[in-house]
Amino acid sequence: MSTQESNNGPARVIPNWESCIDCGACEVACQRTWDLPPETDRIQVLALDHGTEDETNKPMQCYNCSEAPCVEVCPTDALRIRDNGSVRVSGDMCIGCHYCGVGCPFGAPQYPDAGVPEADEASPLGARGNGLMDKCTTCEPRQEEELEPACSSECPTDALLFGTPDELSEKLSEDGVSKPFNDEAAQVVFGDDADEIMSG
Amino acid sequence: MVLEITFDVPYSQWNWQVAVYTALIGLAAGAYLTGYVADLISWQRDAREHGPIAKFGYLIGLVGIGLGGPILLSHLATPFRAMLIPLTMTNFDSWMTIGAYMLGGMGLGAFLMFAWTAFGRTRPHRRTTDEDGPGGVAADGGSDVATDGGSSEGGPAKAATGGDTADGVGTAEERNGVLSQLDAIADYTRPTEPVRLAIGGVFAIFAAGVLLYSAMAFGSGSFERVALWDKTFLIPVMLFSGLGAGLTASVGLAAITENPTNQTIQNYSLIGSGFLVAALGALAATIFLLPEQLPAAEPAIDNMLGTYAWLFIGLAVVAGIVVPVLLSIGAVLGQRRDALSPNAATASYAIAGFLVIVGKIALSMSYLLAAEFTPLPLPV
Repeated sequence: MSTQESNNGPARVIPNWESCIDCGACEVACQRTWDLPPETDRIQVLALDHGTEDETNKPMQCYNCSEAPCVEVCPTDALRIRDNGSVRVSGDMCIGCHYCGVGCPFGAPQYPDAGVPEADEASPLGARGNGLMDKCTTCEPRQEEELEPACSSECPTDALLFGTPDELSEKLSEDGVSKPFNDEAAQVVFGDDADEIMSG
Repeated sequence: MVLEITFDVPYSQWNWQVAVYTALIGLAAGAYLTGYVADLISWQRDAREHGPIAKFGYLIGLVGIGLGGPILLSHLATPFRAMLIPLTMTNFDSWMTIGAYMLGGMGLGAFLMFAWTAFGRTRPHRRTTDEDGPGGVAADGGSDVATDGGSSEGGPAKAATGGDTADGVGTAEERNGVLSQLDAIADYTRPTEPVRLAIGGVFAIFAAGVLLYSAMAFGSGSFERVALWDKTFLIPVMLFSGLGAGLTASVGLAAITENPTNQTIQNYSLIGSGFLVAALGALAATIFLLPEQLPAAEPAIDNMLGTYAWLFIGLAVVAGIVVPVLLSIGAVLGQRRDALSPNAATASYAIAGFLVIVGKIALSMSYLLAAEFTPLPLPV
């Protein structure tokens, strides 16, 4: 079982594109696990090339990028890469400027409106409302209990792969698993280890 | 060959407030910088006719920052938290952080420089009733003592903006003395001219930073998700449009107060038109060359020329650049050939000054509304 304490990089959830059937189980699992309202999109199944022959459905969320563009552009250091490599947002420091939303290539930052209950300071993993940035936390509290993130554990088709970089590299080498990113995106997500991980 | 599909989400992050904010700070920075240059020239050549450009440049700088800042704050989720700049703005890799400090510095500079040039009996660029004769400082700088409250008796004129007949300002001053207090404070705090200009020069560095920030604020980080905002093309557009709009707006205000306008103001009008024409050239380069170099920018360019043509072509280019340039050049030529009445020329400069502000805001709105995220190809 992977945990956030793994020392070869943060545990991530990455998509196995071709397996996704757009059932929405990941979205529901996320919202139910963290008692989030339907307006939150910490993970979202997007219909790409909608209405064309190439239409496909892809689950997208925060990948805890090694070279996180959101961290670079955040003016208040509300976003930071923790020692274990995960990207965390501090609700106490975010000013809701949306720079991270412009910078993130995967559409991970969300800005729930006032209808979403705000996280209190003692529970920073709660959803943030009032226009503050909110994103996938890779279910770190579940990882501490040796559990997979809710989305990947409930995905019926194994369209969400969870693990440390080494574990993901193994999974990506298995038959029937699609490459999650092109070279450019892989560099952002995995940094210098991109080639090694992506080649499986 | 790996089949790729396009991960394409529409741009939806910023709204009109960010556009107005970037437009106003660009306008403000351009006005401050051109005003400071006029201030410097006025001192070096001992030529007070540059003074109105300096004074109104500082004023527009102050008002632009004063309006732009709150408009941006209204866009943020936690404006009061954002106002604690030294405590919250700590990531100097972010242009928003750099810009916040630049804005703070320039705002302070615009306030001081405007106060020192607009108030006080001994303010720079002031007119005198008898060519600096004894006690000849005139109220709001008018050489015509009958209209500005200056004294024709050889004694000191009533100070700065507080003339008895200065469009009702004097009446207010007689009532509460606020303006005379401002005059006194300005006179008390104003340093010597070399020191004042040196201070203004330091703040001009901040203004130059704000002008650059008006382009860099359209930032999408190292991934450069918005191809339309490519800095090679965007920076010249924002620099030239900021300088052109700032100077043309300053000329408009100066023309209203200096009717009939002198040749110096006419020259500034032509320089402002030059900046605007340069901005037009930078925009043309963006339209024709950017899609060639960055194909991802093509949808956004199409948006500017299609969906938002009324905003970009109609307001930003035609109303905000072409018409002001024609009005400015026409007014200058008309005056120099005695083919235009002073009032008509003043109206032309004033309308041009108003239009460039509208155009500058429309330009920023165009860049924001037409933006498209660069699609991210994902392998399947």
